[in-house]
Amino acid sequence: MIGRRKNADDGAAPKRVIQFSRIDAGAFPFLLIFPAVLVILLVIAFPLLYSLYVSFTPYELLKPNSLNFTAARALRNYEKLLNDDIFWRSLWNTIVFLAVTVNLSYLLSLALSQLLARVTFGQSLLRTLLMVPMMFAPILVGMQFRWFFNANVGLVNNFLISVGILQEQGQIAWLVDVPLGMITIIIASIWMNIPVMTIILLAGVLSLPSETFEAAEVDGASGWQKFRFITFPLLAPFSYIALTIMSLDIARAFDIVRIMTDGGPARRTEMLWTYITRLAIEDTKFGLGSAMSWITVSLSVLFTLYFFRQLVKARIVQ
Amino acid sequence: MMRKLFLIALILALVSVSAVGAQDEAQYAGLDMDLSGITIKMANIGGGQYEVMYDAISVFEEATGATVEIVALLDGFSMDQKLKVDFATGAADYDVAWDHTSFVAQYTPFLLPLQDYFSEDELAAFSPAILDAATIDGDLYLIPRHADISPIHYRKDLYEDDAIAAAFMDATGEELTVPTTLEQIDQQARFFVENGHSTLGYTLAGKEEALTGRFYEMHFASGGSLFDENYEPAFNDEIGVAVAELLAGWYVDGVIPSDTTSLLWDGVAQYFCNNDVAIKLEWYGWYAYFQDTDSCAVAGNFGLARGFTGLSIGGDAVRPSGWAGAHAFSVPATAPNPQAGVQLIKFLSSERVAYEEALLGFLPTRSDVWDRVIADASDAENPLDRERLELARVQVGEDFKTPPLIAEWIPFSNIFYPHLQAVILGDVSAQDGLDAAAAETREMMADAGYY
Repeated sequence: MIGRRKNADDGAAPKRVIQFSRIDAGAFPFLLIFPAVLVILLVIAFPLLYSLYVSFTPYELLKPNSLNFTAARALRNYEKLLNDDIFWRSLWNTIVFLAVTVNLSYLLSLALSQLLARVTFGQSLLRTLLMVPMMFAPILVGMQFRWFFNANVGLVNNFLISVGILQEQGQIAWLVDVPLGMITIIIASIWMNIPVMTIILLAGVLSLPSETFEAAEVDGASGWQKFRFITFPLLAPFSYIALTIMSLDIARAFDIVRIMTDGGPARRTEMLWTYITRLAIEDTKFGLGSAMSWITVSLSVLFTLYFFRQLVKARIVQ
Repeated sequence: MMRKLFLIALILALVSVSAVGAQDEAQYAGLDMDLSGITIKMANIGGGQYEVMYDAISVFEEATGATVEIVALLDGFSMDQKLKVDFATGAADYDVAWDHTSFVAQYTPFLLPLQDYFSEDELAAFSPAILDAATIDGDLYLIPRHADISPIHYRKDLYEDDAIAAAFMDATGEELTVPTTLEQIDQQARFFVENGHSTLGYTLAGKEEALTGRFYEMHFASGGSLFDENYEPAFNDEIGVAVAELLAGWYVDGVIPSDTTSLLWDGVAQYFCNNDVAIKLEWYGWYAYFQDTDSCAVAGNFGLARGFTGLSIGGDAVRPSGWAGAHAFSVPATAPNPQAGVQLIKFLSSERVAYEEALLGFLPTRSDVWDRVIADASDAENPLDRERLELARVQVGEDFKTPPLIAEWIPFSNIFYPHLQAVILGDVSAQDGLDAAAAETREMMADAGYY
């Protein structure tokens, strides 16, 4: 019996080889990645394309018949948004928020990474402490900073009153006044984002070749000159990676803004994603919300492409 | 013979006593149907005291044989999102759903009209004003659970101080009495702040539907209407502008807090709790919190009064404030067991369950429960406990006014409140701000097919 089985197996094996060999060598890799591609198409591509379709309809959640494409109305949502002052205001607020937060975060992270690279005692502890803000969910960070800046019972006003800088009646409305509302959100966002940026830059600093610095020292370069002409240029790829990642992350600003000011008051801190949420989720205008999402995502893609080009340029220069 | 007569008399006496006893005790309803083997699914509001009511469900299950499965326990706004998604996707496979008078208008195409499931006697127990708010185009879509409305809350120390009263008389030539009109509130709130008697004169929630609702309340109390009969925006009339200017004036003069536009209900209540506010409208639901001496400095130092009448600019059309709402139950049109769902609603809105919930501090929507809770409060240590209930009954019965029963109420609010915030903060004039809100509202209503 055993012998027969063995014979049967021996007979089958060459057949399998023949079957595989019939597959075109060029097509074989595609066959392997087909399941993954299928899943991606179903999970990512289909919803994206569907939301693109929805953006050309007047669809509202509780009006199923409104999910109806007509050529005459196809661009209505986009026209509405381009003529919508609130959309432009939220875009401007997002750009300001992004520019200030990313640049300040970068400068602070750069400084922190330089300091951390020079620490000789307790380095592990400091790096662990640095990562603490990353452990908090953005919604918790928003709640914490909302309490810090609460005009009535907040930590900041109470501190300023206790040291005599403010009077009881002169409480500062941090989350309301211009530009304090935006500044408080930026502070919270920087606090949360600095660790990631610092870790990326620190990795870059620690990977720089020591020979270059030794040569500079022999030539009598000062500390600032070494930073300006060696460290900073050599860190460029790391900087672009950090800036790209953080820009995309910060541009999606939602949780912190939603919790701290909810885009208000009077739209003073309205960002793209808080406005999209208001349109799509609260007002259930899925068509309009999808259109705005597509405009926003398109802008993000352009932004990312720009940063990646800069990254490639920096690597070529190196 | 005598013994037989005595026995009969004794039995009759016992029967009559037990009958009286039965009438004295609040009764359950909805237990008269055999629902053995049926599972009733319910999506309901959850959190804190809302869930105490659901303990009574075991009585219903035991009496009817049904099994009740609670498929969702979410806060009100999360429930609203869930219901919208479930209705839109046809996934509302539950028999009872939480509802609210502020939200019901948007759900009506997806709800079962309930008037045929309830007898006239059963409906007669509920406040007519609330049932009116639950009836859209002749169909009854919800059965109320409990209601809320706002009386004036005022600090008693300010009104019981002879020196303050004399100073007020000197300054204004008028007696200092608990205000009954919005103009009196304005006058007194300013006086208390300007003379250092109170840190703040008034407070109100300053964003989202809470701000829209408070404006709506001041506007209708002053004789205004948000929309005209054709649903054209009408809030930018001279009454609306006067109300918006009043709020902007309060903000710039420090009568209301500097962070008003970031306040919601809890923040507003905190100011009053701290004893920092002279007068304000506030929901009855905060009463227990304000009376807690461990939590609030204002405990024992505040009184209640009926909502104010609006600005005299409204002439004869002014009326008491009374923006109100009621938590309620509805049956989705896609409910697998609608009759069983109705039976559960009858039970949950019965005199007995409603009474037990009213004991937690919620305002009842049934007249028989009002009688009971007011009688219970007659020997309360704090006379305000009873006064509160008597006042609340008057307000719920006479002043109860929901937002316009249109599906666009929340989208309208989302358009309106940022513009009103801009007016309050001084970014734009009252007229310009309200005109801009009216233009956007008109576009939204046109898109919704109103004109």
